[in-house]
Amino acid sequence: MATIHVKRPELTFAEKLYIPEVVKGLAVTTRQLVKNVFTRKDITTRQYPEEKRPYPDRFRGRHRLMWDDDKNVRCVACMLCSTACPANCIHIVAGDRGDDKVEKYPVSFEIDLLVCIYCGFCEEACPCDAIRMDSGKHPLPSFSRDKQRIRKVQLLEEGDFSIARRGGRGT
Amino acid sequence: MPTLKIDGREITVEPGTTILQAAQQLGIEIPTFCYHPGLTIAANCRMCLVDTNKAPKPLPACHAQVMDGMEVTTQGEKVEKTQKAVLEFILLNHPVDCPICDQAGECVLQDHYFKYSAEPSRLFHRKQHKPKAKVLGPDIILDAERCILCTRCVRFCDEVAKSSQLTVVNRGEKSEITTFPGLELDNPYAANTVDICPVGALTSRDFRFRTRVWMLSSEESVCPECERGCKIRVDSFENTVRRYKPMHNPKVNDWWMCDAGRGSFRQYLDGRMEGPTVVRDGRRVATQVGRALEDAAEALQSAGGMGQVAVVVTPWLTNEDAYLVGRLLKGPLAGARVIMGGRAPGAGDDVLIRPDKNPNKRGVSAILAALGVAVKPLAEMDLAGVRSVVVMGDQNAFSDAQLEALGRVERRVVMGAFMGPLWQAATTFLPTRLHWEKDGTFTNFEGVVQRIRRAVAPAGTCKSEGYYAMKLLQAFGEGGLAFDGPRQIFAALAAEVPDFRGLSYENLGDFGQKLGEPPAPPTPETPPASMEASA
Repeated sequence: MATIHVKRPELTFAEKLYIPEVVKGLAVTTRQLVKNVFTRKDITTRQYPEEKRPYPDRFRGRHRLMWDDDKNVRCVACMLCSTACPANCIHIVAGDRGDDKVEKYPVSFEIDLLVCIYCGFCEEACPCDAIRMDSGKHPLPSFSRDKQRIRKVQLLEEGDFSIARRGGRGT
Repeated sequence: MPTLKIDGREITVEPGTTILQAAQQLGIEIPTFCYHPGLTIAANCRMCLVDTNKAPKPLPACHAQVMDGMEVTTQGEKVEKTQKAVLEFILLNHPVDCPICDQAGECVLQDHYFKYSAEPSRLFHRKQHKPKAKVLGPDIILDAERCILCTRCVRFCDEVAKSSQLTVVNRGEKSEITTFPGLELDNPYAANTVDICPVGALTSRDFRFRTRVWMLSSEESVCPECERGCKIRVDSFENTVRRYKPMHNPKVNDWWMCDAGRGSFRQYLDGRMEGPTVVRDGRRVATQVGRALEDAAEALQSAGGMGQVAVVVTPWLTNEDAYLVGRLLKGPLAGARVIMGGRAPGAGDDVLIRPDKNPNKRGVSAILAALGVAVKPLAEMDLAGVRSVVVMGDQNAFSDAQLEALGRVERRVVMGAFMGPLWQAATTFLPTRLHWEKDGTFTNFEGVVQRIRRAVAPAGTCKSEGYYAMKLLQAFGEGGLAFDGPRQIFAALAAEVPDFRGLSYENLGDFGQKLGEPPAPPTPETPPASMEASA
């Protein structure tokens, strides 16, 4: 069997003492510290909460629900998102809006962010541009699992008007 | 006997057979909307047009009768062109609001469109708008825009429900279904119009917006609301029953069921008692099934002779449960007073609804009689001198005096499913399964034995009455009664009860078997028919 004999470096007497080497290392650290404090050049870390890294446009973040022209929820509770959802994290209860144009609306719309895998199938399945994942935000940390189940109100707070065409009478 | 060829395949049929029926015999599919085997033929949707050598133009297959030497083509360019044209006309003013339509997923128009047309709309005008969400009756909502005017619902009301409440008004593209002035679609079979509606025009107010149909899981069963025992499909989602749909059974209910039966599932959704309880030191405490059974056995033994024990059996038992209960009553409990409980009779009619509101009175009576158990009716219940009583089922029409008499009995073993007066009276409570939580068979008033199947997982630690009877038998030292499931119990029942001789789960088939008729040869069990079977 072929064996390779690696030559171990022999330590000099000064290296064996360790103290000069420690001083050398501290010198590198101190030099870097002085450089970073007085010139901000070549700095590799970020001041995270204040200074955020820009995400790509198609980053899939926390969900939001879009508004219709009257700032009501655009969603018609067709449940195509919860059907498409591979993680089964979208729970919708549908109700009657009492409106001739769009009969159905979500009485409750909940997304369990702990279960969600951020695949984006829900926004692809949505026929009326009601659910989007373009908020660019992460799920927030919380002290309870229940807080990670975001409700319709929270989803609508992030919402906005949409110019997409939605089906229904008179469109 | 005319002989004809359909798509090159020869068949000889009875004179008067329609092309559609002949094609069905060959297993050739011809798309239809307005045709329903339970109704008269209208031939107004034109979806079933087929090409023949006997007429220059395509003929409606549902209406045209076969002729000798006929050659029918159900495929090919001419028929396909016709089908596309028919679908284009039907979809001309259709709102295509499938995402919010309750029928989406079980819609015949959706299926036919994707299978036979899949052409985009060429209409550039505004669509003709009609009333949406128009309330027709207590359980029915009409969306006139979605309607394709097949008139199945109109014919159903005329022919089956005999109420003639619906009609078509206006002409051309303004035609729409409506009720006659001053009438509501409120006949006791009205919700069947929702089932036979091929599109989402008629929807059930009860089921409306509740669940998308593709999320439902289905199991074939039997409606327990009267002794007719209509064959139904129990649709459930997230382990909750969401609706009943009637299934085709020519021996029992044809294609229909009554609205009372259809809406009855709601009364079983709330108030379940899911665990056994016993009374210790005057207080009701939760316990395990084994402990509660020990308590029940002890209650029966402590009565001091079976003459001081009364048992109320219920006609809501399956045949299998009734057999095990019968074995218990014939064996260790021989000599106990046996009373047949059950609901009080109600109104009936000459279509489907029967006055007796229990699903299996005939089966339970026949089995107990064959095992030699004498049963008294509920009205003759006499609890004088009784020290232990066993009451099965929640659906017993006890009078107040009878309930009071029950409360005076020393030990009261109750097998029930709900919180109610019986649960409150119980000293030992054993939770039972509902009819959609167990497998078994029901025998209807005409003696048709049909399978019921488990559609949802049983709540809590609920077991069937038969299980408790079996465990009590074992507690009393009756060995050799270890069954693995209802199939084995039914086999034992068929061997012991003369009425059921020769029956088995294998030969019950899709439509059940009538007692006293020679059973059909066993067929391998088929998976439940597709969602479309009831449409």
